[in-house]
Amino acid sequence: MDLLPQFLANGLVIGSFYALSALGLTLILGLMRVVNFAHGELYMLGGVMGWWVTNALGLDFLTGLALVALVMGVFGWLVDRVLIERIRGQGEEPGILLTIGLSIFLANTALLVVGTAPLKVEGPVSSGPVFLGPIVVTKIRLFAVAVCAVLIVAAYLLIQKTRLGRAMRATFQDPMAAQLAGIKTANVYACTFALGTIIASLAGMLLGSIYSAQVSVGGLVSMKAFVVVILGGMGSFAGAVVGGLVLGIAEALWGGYVATGWVDIIGFAIVILTLVFRPYGLFSKRAERA
Amino acid sequence: MRKLSCALLLVGAVGGASSAAWAQETIKIGVIQPLTGSVAYNGLTYVNGAKLAVERRNAAGGVLGKKVELVIEDGQCRPANSVNAAEKLIVRDKVVALTGAFCSSATAAVMPVAEKYKLPMLSGVSSKADLTEKGLQYFFRSAETDRLMSKTFSKILAQKLQLKTVAYIGVNDDWGRGSVEDFSKDLGALGVKTVMKEYFDHGATDFYTLLTRLRAAKPDGVFVAAETQDGSILVKQFKEFGIQTKIFGVGSWATADFIGLTGEASEGIYAAVPYASSMPGERNQSFVQYYSAAYKEKPGKYGAAGYNALNIVMEAIARAGNTQADAIRDALRKTDYAAPNGHFKFTEKGEGYGFDVVLVQIQNREPKVVAQAPTEKP
Amino acid sequence: MQFERNAILGALLAAALLPLAVHDQYLLHVAIMVLFYAVLATSLNLVVGYVGEFSLGHTAFLGTGAYAAALLSTKLGWPMWATIPAAGALAAAMGLLIGSITLRLQGPFFVIVTLSFAEVLRLVADNWVAFTNGPMGIAGVPQPAWLAEAGNLATKQFYFYLAWGVLAISLYLAFRFVYSNAGRAAVAVRENRYVAQSIGIRPFRYAMLAFVLGAFLAGMAGGFYAHYISFVGPEVFRFAFMVSMIIMVLIGGKGTLVGPLIGALLVTFLEEYLREAKELRLSLFGLAVMAIVLFLPRGLMGFLTARREIRKPATPPAVSVAANIAPRRQGA
Repeated sequence: MDLLPQFLANGLVIGSFYALSALGLTLILGLMRVVNFAHGELYMLGGVMGWWVTNALGLDFLTGLALVALVMGVFGWLVDRVLIERIRGQGEEPGILLTIGLSIFLANTALLVVGTAPLKVEGPVSSGPVFLGPIVVTKIRLFAVAVCAVLIVAAYLLIQKTRLGRAMRATFQDPMAAQLAGIKTANVYACTFALGTIIASLAGMLLGSIYSAQVSVGGLVSMKAFVVVILGGMGSFAGAVVGGLVLGIAEALWGGYVATGWVDIIGFAIVILTLVFRPYGLFSKRAERA
Repeated sequence: MRKLSCALLLVGAVGGASSAAWAQETIKIGVIQPLTGSVAYNGLTYVNGAKLAVERRNAAGGVLGKKVELVIEDGQCRPANSVNAAEKLIVRDKVVALTGAFCSSATAAVMPVAEKYKLPMLSGVSSKADLTEKGLQYFFRSAETDRLMSKTFSKILAQKLQLKTVAYIGVNDDWGRGSVEDFSKDLGALGVKTVMKEYFDHGATDFYTLLTRLRAAKPDGVFVAAETQDGSILVKQFKEFGIQTKIFGVGSWATADFIGLTGEASEGIYAAVPYASSMPGERNQSFVQYYSAAYKEKPGKYGAAGYNALNIVMEAIARAGNTQADAIRDALRKTDYAAPNGHFKFTEKGEGYGFDVVLVQIQNREPKVVAQAPTEKP
Repeated sequence: MQFERNAILGALLAAALLPLAVHDQYLLHVAIMVLFYAVLATSLNLVVGYVGEFSLGHTAFLGTGAYAAALLSTKLGWPMWATIPAAGALAAAMGLLIGSITLRLQGPFFVIVTLSFAEVLRLVADNWVAFTNGPMGIAGVPQPAWLAEAGNLATKQFYFYLAWGVLAISLYLAFRFVYSNAGRAAVAVRENRYVAQSIGIRPFRYAMLAFVLGAFLAGMAGGFYAHYISFVGPEVFRFAFMVSMIIMVLIGGKGTLVGPLIGALLVTFLEEYLREAKELRLSLFGLAVMAIVLFLPRGLMGFLTARREIRKPATPPAVSVAANIAPRRQGA
């Protein structure tokens, strides 16, 4: 039983990473109803870019982070304007297929460019252990959790307090009415996708400094992000955060007390149970529109 | 439109004729390796070693007066894809021998195909013990099996590291599970207690939960069966977690890239490997020199495996005197190949033995050979 | 209906004659894979095209069938003509189970929950070593004894006709389903769920029918796979298989019976011939998928059908009705 604090600590750390990663997805899923299967690849690109920026360009971590955010934001904006714009309004199937194709393309092109070796992103603090009582964490994990929290708060403020955020929320509630009110919904969609991309890629760079960045990681990241989004409810901010923490802790406890090999099953079991009992997630209050 | 199709036809005919003409000049050997996917990293180093062997041989005059040509296909470590690749190589490219397919499961699927077509096949990497137990006549294996490694090193490890309790961690695939089973059995026979046995999935990035349990189990030593990507992350997290226990592992642990990825966390780790670039001997030194010149890094286990496998096959063809499948197979049976890491021979079942394997300890980012032993005939 | 039936019969006939003309074993192997994928694409098409919901978990049925056939033949010694139908039946049972939970959901929820089920099965296959042998898989799935004496070419030809048989049965069942009342009801549900409900069609029942039939066909394909490749491991549940199936259904055109056949043919050939490009292969694949979604959303069959409809003039009955009405209205 004395292992419990450590398991909880592990779970909270991983959970906050899951939360950040899923945040980008939930915005896109909730606002644009696009099931973005390329989410994991955007995360991966963030990690790979982070490696390039800190190793090849030699920038320090935070400057690198800003640069990655900028570049990936533009990339996301372009993806929306060039690709997703064309299939808007056709239901979610074309979106699924388009993003699957995009994910295959991105994953394999990245493979061609950087190769298969794991890439190390240079973090700003060391990875030495930090002992908080009976619990062990590392400095860089604490740093990453802090950055996660900052990013989540920043995204929240963006959506609640800025004009762009208001436009996003309006378009979310009713696209037609938003257009009538003079909001350029095409821009809003592009900005939302860009925001989702930025969050995903920053998560990738952040976690790349703790583990390592690999081109093959996209699929697993997408899956976990979907689990969190379903659990928390599509488009729900609080849902992504709470869902991420719940998943992280559930995995840590299962892995700790049962067996580590089966850990991934927890996520899928959660998805199935959620969809059977509360299909719209723990936090969503929406009813199905006809 | 007419003109274009005529032109294309002409180009195609010329291309076809020239390739047919060229094809008669070379001896083709097929290689099936994972070039994409999660073990592509290691598959590509195997191919590098194989290419080096062929280049050196061709520079020395080739085999039977002709140049050797490698036809490389991507098996992706998956049975279905590897079988596809094998069919293409055997029927389309008409290779005289096959090597591959890296993962034991892929090799297990390709073996019956090679047997059906009566084509000699050599696996330089697949380590699952029962591959040579199926009574096939055309299959050979020049890789170390987990059983062989465990038999050769268990005693040395138990004594040197003064092990009384060991925790076992392995990647969840046939190789990881096999290694854990073999080592725990042999160490157990020497009186070492197993306190934990856990597996993790390929591509897992966070081992903290596993490490929490490990720390609570307080073993004398930790056995790890993992490849470069997973292994480097695991080892780093060991040190992050503050675990001081001795670590010994199997897999590509003595390689430059593993040490590069792990950094200072690699200090003091023991690895039981079939090849290390720091092995003594003149043959190895020249091999390391050539490999480093060609690929800008020192060779590791898989580079050596590819190099040895191709050399064994080419020597067998030369010994056979012709490219008939049965002649090559008989010649393979009589192999006594002088490799950078010892001598390779085969049993009647096609299992390789006689080569040296080493226990290294990573000191100052270099794999220092601590013990070396030839593998005995199983 | 005529067109589809004739096209299917023509394709089956041409396929049946293939081994007589082609003796290259590699080409026969590719042809066998085409037939295998055609069965899978047809089975997925029933769900995607006729239920109208996007299932990403179809590999659950392929895998269930493959493991069933492998285990029944290696552990219980069942012969091939029994394991393949049994594989189909077990997969259908799995379809019943999964369908009862997933078919209550729609849209992206359906997508993700079906994917979750396939992943759960993969993890079970990967970890339940006692039953499925985990990642080591089940090797040495036996072939019929008399094949050992026959030559390589004869073995390939046998497997070709076996695959052909499975495909013929699949197409027959699919055809009968689609052109029956049940099939038409399923299409009604796909087009507009609420209107269908308002005329008394229970969406759940028809969706379940299509789903279970799709599962049955995929299971039989899985059984065939087990015997042909002779090795079954957890990779049959992988997403990569699913992606291939989806692409085939979409390129060919979902909601048509001929579409999956064309899709299977094109994609298998594309995959084999893109081997030359090796590392570029998968990148090109991704680009191809995106291009199809953007420019050929209804697949090739859909594209061809649309062109035919544009070319056809207005049908006579409508014209005469309009002629009858028009003078009246002008008078009033």
